[in-house]
Amino acid sequence: MRDWIDPHQLNEDDFKSTVQSFEFWFEAVEGYLHGRPFGVSPLTKEIALSDRRRDGLITTLCNYCVGEAAALEASSGMIRFAPDRLAQVFLATQAVDEARHLEVFLNRLSQLGVPNVDVEIESRANRSLLKFKDRLLEFVDAQDWEAAVFAQNVILECLESTVFRHHAATADPVTAEILAGVISDERRHFGFGENDLGRRLQAAPHVHARLAKIKRDLDTLVLDTFSEVMGELDIAPADRPDLAGDYLAAVARLGFRP
Amino acid sequence: MADFLSGYSVQKWLESCPQGYLEGTVYGHGEDEVEAEEVLKNETFREQQIRTTVQLVVGEQCALAAASGLVNAAQDRPSKLFLATQTLDEARHVEIFVQRLYDLGVKPDDLESTLKTYANPNLVKFAEVLLEKVDKKDFVAGVVGQNIVLEGMAFSVFEMLHATAERSNPKFAHMLSGTIADERRHVGFGENRIGELIKRHPERKSDIHKMQRNMTKHMLATFHDLFEASAGAANEARKAASLDTQRPQAIYHGLNLTEASTEEMESALANTVLKEFKTRLSRIGLEYQSPM
Repeated sequence: MRDWIDPHQLNEDDFKSTVQSFEFWFEAVEGYLHGRPFGVSPLTKEIALSDRRRDGLITTLCNYCVGEAAALEASSGMIRFAPDRLAQVFLATQAVDEARHLEVFLNRLSQLGVPNVDVEIESRANRSLLKFKDRLLEFVDAQDWEAAVFAQNVILECLESTVFRHHAATADPVTAEILAGVISDERRHFGFGENDLGRRLQAAPHVHARLAKIKRDLDTLVLDTFSEVMGELDIAPADRPDLAGDYLAAVARLGFRP
Repeated sequence: MADFLSGYSVQKWLESCPQGYLEGTVYGHGEDEVEAEEVLKNETFREQQIRTTVQLVVGEQCALAAASGLVNAAQDRPSKLFLATQTLDEARHVEIFVQRLYDLGVKPDDLESTLKTYANPNLVKFAEVLLEKVDKKDFVAGVVGQNIVLEGMAFSVFEMLHATAERSNPKFAHMLSGTIADERRHVGFGENRIGELIKRHPERKSDIHKMQRNMTKHMLATFHDLFEASAGAANEARKAASLDTQRPQAIYHGLNLTEASTEEMESALANTVLKEFKTRLSRIGLEYQSPM
């Protein structure tokens, strides 16, 4: 392995060629995936879950599968119209990350005794999340790079990492470990979106208004999804984290106010 | 279907590829491995290696576009998961071969013009035939074009390059051996997945045959152009070999590449690829179509 280079010390071209490379991805994931088949160390023990908690977890995982399947289709579909080779390579690493997330969540559903995951996902999928998926894939089909990066690498990644972080804090040990690996990937994906759009917004400030409109349209779907997730995680109302607030604050850091 | 596809999961890929044969490598080779001095010092050899590597980048860019496009065309989840791993394999190949161009002295600012100068027009046409199917989300034709024709060609080309580089340029040979291992997995998926789809959709055969014939025509034209363009470098290599009796020999399918003419090399490669096509196509229920 090469000596560690702090990417933030690099100039723009070197930053992109380092951070958006297979090599960078390879070194990053090795740390948290090695020795963890399907995202979990063999030493991590299962705990008994009540029927109610197990059922809530199944619904939550089914929705994670919907989100990850959307991200897999979007990231792979964006490769063809990515602006340069480095962005294509980054999106290829993201596609495999999303495929891995889908696979580990499906594996967790099997561990929880779900006999037919497709039937279960179909019946438990959140309607707002499905609509979000459709909107995202419309941007991809239209080869609208800015809208697709914004919807996928900013809004969807922000939504997922907000939910995953809060869920990991209260989840059973196996699910929590799976989520920890997934969160590490999401950080990289969000970073790409933030970096790419940040540069574009600097060069063409008028793009901001268009993206802000897309955000307003998608916010309703995101906030509806959050409100359902809260119910599924079986957290008492008084203890519920402010998922919507966290999400809006994260997007606001990019200059998109509610 | 589910059983064989479980062998192509992301987890299996992680264990066999990044955590397997790529462990400890940088851009596909050992950290201490460098380009052969003979290549860097001799302008004829260096240009010939740049020309060859540009074709590898063009071919891998096509494979990246095709594999990623096929993720959305696939109807079943296990195929989507496998194609995501293939997408990253192809992206890695693009990256390591671009890095090789830099190692051969191409400056980053000159990369695009170098690709444009040396990319063979017939190889570009070969890619266009395949990507037309992918753009139409034609999964069956796309997988035959990508995982049987393109990967089958790449597999044989890499093996020939590997035979040439094994003793004279271990760094390049190391890069190729990782790539060959990836291609083997891709071809295996294509054969396993598509055979049953062809059986279910026999009406698709004529269209796929036409695509294979076109791709083969452009492939053979590419081989011809490239071997013709490398005649000077091959002559020089033969002269150097005749003066150095200790020079290790490179053998490919019984042909001594150190002594062979470019016509003999072209013929050996074309015959090997076409034989592979016939075998692999027959395994999935298709007959090889000659472009002649």
